[in-house]
Amino acid sequence: MPPGIKLKFAFIINALEFKMSNTASRRSFLATAGLALPAVGLARPADEKQTKKPNTTLAPNTLTKDTTPKFTYRALGKTGLKPTAVGFGCMVTSDPTVVERAADIGITYFDTARVYQGGNNERMVGAALKGKRNSLILSSKTHATTKEQALADIDISLKTIGTDHLDIWYLHAKTKAEQITDDLMEAQNIAKQQGKIRFAGVSTHGGHQEVIPAAISKKHFDVILASYNFTMDPPIDPLLQAAKDAGIGVVAMKVMAGGFRTIKEGNKRWDTFHRDGAMLAMLKWALRNKNVDTTVPSITDFDQLDQNLRAMSETFTPADDKLLAERLQHLAPLYCRMCGKCDGHCAKGLPVADLIRYVSYAEGYGEFDMARDQFLALPDYMQTVRCGDCGECTVHCPNGVRVSARVSRAQELFA
Amino acid sequence: MKSALVAVAVCTAVTALRAAAADAPLPRCDVVPGWTQAGPARTYAADNLYDYMDGNSEGYLIYGFKLMHGVTCKSGEVSFVVDISEMNDAEAAWGLYASNRDPRVPVEKLGISGQIVPQRGIFVKGASFVEISASPTSADHSTALRTFLQGLEKLVTGTTDAPPPVQWFPKEALDAASIRLVPQSVLGLSLLKKGYIAKYDYGRAFVVRQASLDSAIQVMQKLRDRFGASEPMKTADEAFQANDRYLGRLLIFRKGAYVAGFVNLTADAPAAKSAQVLAAAIP
Repeated sequence: MPPGIKLKFAFIINALEFKMSNTASRRSFLATAGLALPAVGLARPADEKQTKKPNTTLAPNTLTKDTTPKFTYRALGKTGLKPTAVGFGCMVTSDPTVVERAADIGITYFDTARVYQGGNNERMVGAALKGKRNSLILSSKTHATTKEQALADIDISLKTIGTDHLDIWYLHAKTKAEQITDDLMEAQNIAKQQGKIRFAGVSTHGGHQEVIPAAISKKHFDVILASYNFTMDPPIDPLLQAAKDAGIGVVAMKVMAGGFRTIKEGNKRWDTFHRDGAMLAMLKWALRNKNVDTTVPSITDFDQLDQNLRAMSETFTPADDKLLAERLQHLAPLYCRMCGKCDGHCAKGLPVADLIRYVSYAEGYGEFDMARDQFLALPDYMQTVRCGDCGECTVHCPNGVRVSARVSRAQELFA
Repeated sequence: MKSALVAVAVCTAVTALRAAAADAPLPRCDVVPGWTQAGPARTYAADNLYDYMDGNSEGYLIYGFKLMHGVTCKSGEVSFVVDISEMNDAEAAWGLYASNRDPRVPVEKLGISGQIVPQRGIFVKGASFVEISASPTSADHSTALRTFLQGLEKLVTGTTDAPPPVQWFPKEALDAASIRLVPQSVLGLSLLKKGYIAKYDYGRAFVVRQASLDSAIQVMQKLRDRFGASEPMKTADEAFQANDRYLGRLLIFRKGAYVAGFVNLTADAPAAKSAQVLAAAIP
């Protein structure tokens, strides 16, 4: 192994094992970067009147076609807000016209964050919703770790978006209970008292088991924003129920199983995930849970927007269920959940969960180099084991991962 | 024979990946005297970037993120969190940079381009996107950030030229800081998968390269269909004008495998002239 590769490998292992202690400083930096800059909208130079008052002389096209979408609304906890069941996650949206159209046709909830695109996302959302702000529910988030940083963040967010208040202001991406500090909650209370926010929220991508109970116990939060999709373990459901019982609004994100974001068009799996309405089925799956008050799927174009709207008028059917079950079969091998619930142990002593993840790195993310490095770091005897040596695999996955096939694939790729 | 070809292809791909990873620059604190590393170095790949920047990793991944190497450097009470993201290619790195720069702040000549604000410094060079976050956040670290970034620039290899399409946009009435690479669905149209946009006083311009001449021709036809009745024009290989509720008055043309044009045009926009200039710049 060349020295450079070895060094890189050491770093990778280091990164996998080491949870940064200074993550917070980076996040808080990202959140406060650009402080004290004047708030200047990036409104499109287009004739705004055209977008506010549809020109009846415009040529007909699918963008203006009246598809009369049906909207459903759900109460967001005890906030009194009643957003559309399908909202709009703006994180990766590049074009303001998509946001603008969503608001025009009736979507009422839009979500952004201070850190998205270095603050440019808040600016884009603000410009796109200019003139419509008061009829919409708008949320943003702060990665701050101190009260001072958080209060600085809310001021920057308001200036950047061009509004005097946010409806919901989330403490962003908490994974541990201790990250929900009294300091940050005090910042939310101050912002509330100052009229800068209406409701306090907390978001979590991967810390449900710890963050949601903690958020409930604080009796402080009005809304919880949590990743929630069909690939997740059923134990998430009682957590959402508990939040609902506590009167806390539940907003679901990553509803399209956003974990598959790195699979690009052209990859054979892309077609699998995007055909036959599987993406729509994922959204409908999330909405069938009545403890989910609204959703914020990422939307980048008009086609996605139109498709997502259908989730409010179509029910989740057995056909959808079957479709997602099929997809899960494809997805499961990609995403060993590292749940530790493997039934049985490898007779040859292989770390099967790790090996399956290595295949995911290589095939799901295109990180063959990293995957192979990790395989080659296994003890020599493990590298020489072949699944074919055993008559029957002694490890079974409760989530349906075809263990023997996937481990064989790892051996085929890396050994 | 077939298996041999496959083996060669796999070896080539693996070699390329290894070479790219090996070339990924490792940030160092000693690029400026007086700075020392605090804590271990760190590396993140696409599947665990969220461990580092949960809630913001999508913004990197959508541009073609591969690896991030980082260190935290300290000098007295000042701390710099230094990260170098290795992207799929120089275009992807520029795209990430452009999406993160503040269009209201001047850029600096660092690599292809850089930008420094009181607590943050970024630049792009080759396939690397370099960023430093400074703390304490109450202070203005601009001077130190500039010195540090200049030191890091020497570590990073690769082109110092912006992607060619950046230069193609007509200069007159252009907001140069507005030029961006849209990684997905240019103008909110899934037909236009990836491309560049720029703002003008009188509208917005875009340039999208299709995979082939045939696909560009097909996309043009689909755009015509999408925007309904349109007025044909004589620009480049083919062109049309139309109106749309959200994209306003628009002029779209094709030159070879490129689909480009202007949208949200104001009534007095020099649309035809600008389209001619843009078309002439596209190879």
